[in-house]
Amino acid sequence: MENKMKQIFRPKMYIGEGRRSTDTVVAENVTDTSGTIRRSQSDRTEYGKKLKDKMASQDTPTSSCSALDPQEIRSKMMAKRLKVIQELLQTEKDYLTDLELCIKEVVEPLKDIQAVEVDRLFINIESIKQVSASLLANLEEATAGVDPEIQIIGKTFSHVKAEMEEAYKIYCYHQDDANSLLSTYEKDEEVNQQFINCIMTLKTIYDREGKSNLLNMRSFMIKPVQRVMKYPLLLRELWNCTPDSHPDIRPLEEALNSVNIINSNINEFKRGKDLVMKYKKNEEEGRLRNKINKFSFHSLRKKSDRVTGHIKRITGKEPRIKDEKFDKEEKMFKNIEKAVRQLTKNVSDLLQALEGISTAAQNDQQLQSMLLDPDKCESECPLDTKNGSNPYLHFKNKLEHLVLKPLSTLQSMFVAPQKLIQKRYDKLLDYDSSRERSSDELELARRDYEALNAQLVEGLQVFNPASKKILTNCIYFIVALFQDLMNSTHRKFPSIQHLSAPLSNISEVQNSIMEELNNLLFVKENAPKLIERKLSFDKPKRPAPESPRQSEAQRVKVLSTYPLDKVHQLKRNCNATQERDLSLFEGELVAVIEQQDPLGSTSRWLVDTGSEKGYVYSSFLKPYNPIKEQNGNPQDREVDFDDVSIFVNGSKRNSMKSLNSFSSINDIQDWTETDDNDSSGNTDDQQIFYAVYPFQARCEQELSLLEYQRVRILKFCDASGNREWWLAEANEQKGYVPANYLGKMSYA
Amino acid sequence: MSWIPFKNNNPKKQIISKTVERDFEREYEKLQKIEDQTKKLHKDMKKSTEADTAMSKAAVKISSDLLSNPLCEQDPQFLKSMTALDTAMRRMDAFNQEKVNQIQKTVIEPLKKFSSVFPSLNMAVKRREQTLQDYKRLQSKVEKYEEKEKTGPTMVKLHQAREELRPVREDFEAKNKQLLEEMPKFYHSRIDYFQPSFEALIRAQVAYFTEMHKIFGELTEQIDQPGLTDEQRERDNEARLSELKALSIVADD
Repeated sequence: MENKMKQIFRPKMYIGEGRRSTDTVVAENVTDTSGTIRRSQSDRTEYGKKLKDKMASQDTPTSSCSALDPQEIRSKMMAKRLKVIQELLQTEKDYLTDLELCIKEVVEPLKDIQAVEVDRLFINIESIKQVSASLLANLEEATAGVDPEIQIIGKTFSHVKAEMEEAYKIYCYHQDDANSLLSTYEKDEEVNQQFINCIMTLKTIYDREGKSNLLNMRSFMIKPVQRVMKYPLLLRELWNCTPDSHPDIRPLEEALNSVNIINSNINEFKRGKDLVMKYKKNEEEGRLRNKINKFSFHSLRKKSDRVTGHIKRITGKEPRIKDEKFDKEEKMFKNIEKAVRQLTKNVSDLLQALEGISTAAQNDQQLQSMLLDPDKCESECPLDTKNGSNPYLHFKNKLEHLVLKPLSTLQSMFVAPQKLIQKRYDKLLDYDSSRERSSDELELARRDYEALNAQLVEGLQVFNPASKKILTNCIYFIVALFQDLMNSTHRKFPSIQHLSAPLSNISEVQNSIMEELNNLLFVKENAPKLIERKLSFDKPKRPAPESPRQSEAQRVKVLSTYPLDKVHQLKRNCNATQERDLSLFEGELVAVIEQQDPLGSTSRWLVDTGSEKGYVYSSFLKPYNPIKEQNGNPQDREVDFDDVSIFVNGSKRNSMKSLNSFSSINDIQDWTETDDNDSSGNTDDQQIFYAVYPFQARCEQELSLLEYQRVRILKFCDASGNREWWLAEANEQKGYVPANYLGKMSYA
Repeated sequence: MSWIPFKNNNPKKQIISKTVERDFEREYEKLQKIEDQTKKLHKDMKKSTEADTAMSKAAVKISSDLLSNPLCEQDPQFLKSMTALDTAMRRMDAFNQEKVNQIQKTVIEPLKKFSSVFPSLNMAVKRREQTLQDYKRLQSKVEKYEEKEKTGPTMVKLHQAREELRPVREDFEAKNKQLLEEMPKFYHSRIDYFQPSFEALIRAQVAYFTEMHKIFGELTEQIDQPGLTDEQRERDNEARLSELKALSIVADD
């Protein structure tokens, strides 16, 4: 008994990794000869052995009796056939009884005490019972009172094959889980006791009937698995001993086929699950050691093959293996994943933005309170204190709860399938590449690929619609929440008719008030000086004056009326700022009439443009040199104080230079006045430089300089015209100093 | 504030009557409070308009991402609802922008302008304070001389001091009067100034939310059948999540 128990009980139906020799539960394929049928260990039941013996004893006669009379053979076969049918019926009956008892005495009581998850232990044993019952009914119908010559057994199986596959598939699939669950339960004293009780009850029943082959919970749980594996054997035997002329031969073949297929499907289904488990487990153990262990020659080869396979696929070569269904599901999966990912991120962003808003509603209250005078009540617009924070806070909380949470959970669920999809692709590549190789590898690869593929397709077909619905629900929530938010805030406001009419000229009203305020004495007197300075800076930015440009005739007039030394050219555009100022453009010619203005300031000159007379700041003017004009020297464009060449070239200019320097000396006094216009510029500035570096005079003509010493430049070249040495004056002393040692005094 | 140093000097003799001082204080305090409120409100309004903009931009991003997802190609119903959602969000954004602009014009800028007056006020008060100090100083000097025995040089000094005192006192009186007159005016002007702003703010918000109410009114129907209540929908979500969890391709052992 003990031995048998060990043989019956195996924790796993087959091992998922590596070795396959003892793996398969059922015969590889139908065409295997009977001699090489592989059995799993669990097949070696006492019963199975008995059957084998029975059949074996029948086998040899049939195979060796070529000399016997065909009629005799036939009758012998028919006799055997009857026996097998008898066996089939009997075993099915017993099986059904076992199932019923199990349900009645074990499953139901356990369900009642609720200490055990019966569903996980016994899975869908009720459905199995149904299948068995209907099979038995069919069998009885096919055999009771029917002439053996026309008994059609095969059809009975074909009728139930769909339900059979469904029920057993599920049962076998979960068998491992059930077993491990059972082990954990057995460790629990109380639960174990319950089990023992049930078994005892069953045992007494069985003993009454003389059967003593029940052992423990496990043996019950494994019965369906054993039964479904026996069908092929039984049917095969039946088929073997059915004469060719018997009408049942074809149906039997079909039935045999079907049950074989059922078994292999169950296997594949389980294999798929195991593969999934295997790869999921592997992915989780990311520790370095494991990774190194996996890094073997075999895995290297696999990976390199996969890479080449991948490249082959994507370089346009017609992919050989394709599963349309899978591709469709995968695409949808990807899209949903992307949508969920983006939505989660966007909703988080939205929530962040909301943080800012909930404080904003207090602004209305603040504004209102400003208007309120503690002494007198002045608020005119009745606005009940809008508890603005509430609608927004509510929105935020709900959004988090109803949308963000499910979406995040959903998002985390995408990871595992993604990995499996990747793995499937790898298997696909393996399969592709192994087509060129031996058929063993091919078979292996094909199996792996198809198992994984089937798992994924099935899984995705559930996953995709469900996740899409979740997505849609979340979107719905978002919209609904927005709606609520808008509604609740809308309700709190008075309707638009109740508000006083809008002031269309708000800005005017407010501006006039501001003006009044500004007119208040204290403002006028105390306004920061900044404002004034700002105005002056604005001036250069203003667009060019609208006064017409100087015409040729005017220029000619100027040139002809006045001596050349009085003619000046505008260095830049200038805009009129004070009374009687002129707005002029760069390059225009004017003649200087007076080198001072009515107030005595010598930085403003009275000029004649040929069409009008007015004042211009002298810094805008430079002496007009017709030759330069013709040359179109671009340097002149931006002649400022920095350009000293004008003082250097041409004798004519010298006279003008002296004119300038003369005027500039007068300007010195101006420099100290705090005029409002900074850019009036002083020609004086051109000549005050400071020594960036100290300079030691090497002869009496040179002037020693201290660092940062101020000097005035009298000449911007030396006696021989060398522009690199300037005649400078400091402390009553004159001398030449190197020009590049000097820096311009910036007017700060 | 101006009493305290004064107390140290000469608590018995008071240059300016307590009532005057108190009035001044009170007015000034009111104005200071308004100044703070204006500044704070200005900052807050700026922040809130930025937050509004951020929120509507985030909402638009949600809808446009969803719309651009290839899911829309496969499922025409989805496409329809996403398009509706996107349109709604964009309209919300547009209205929001308008609201923000409106508020900017009618509330935020006036706030800024109003607060630009305060520096001058503070300066004026400070100057008055300085004058007051001078006044007190000179006054005490005069009194000191007055208490001395009436000798020649003292008399001269006294006379001098009095001469010095007079313009300062007049200056102070002038400043004080001016401020006392003008501060209430300033204070009072805020009502007329801000009333329109307040109304404009309310109006902008009301307009916005009315529009939003309309936009979102029909939107829910277009997204999904509204048959389920929120709780049902929530439970539906949970159910599907657990359904997914049970899948072998997803479940963790």
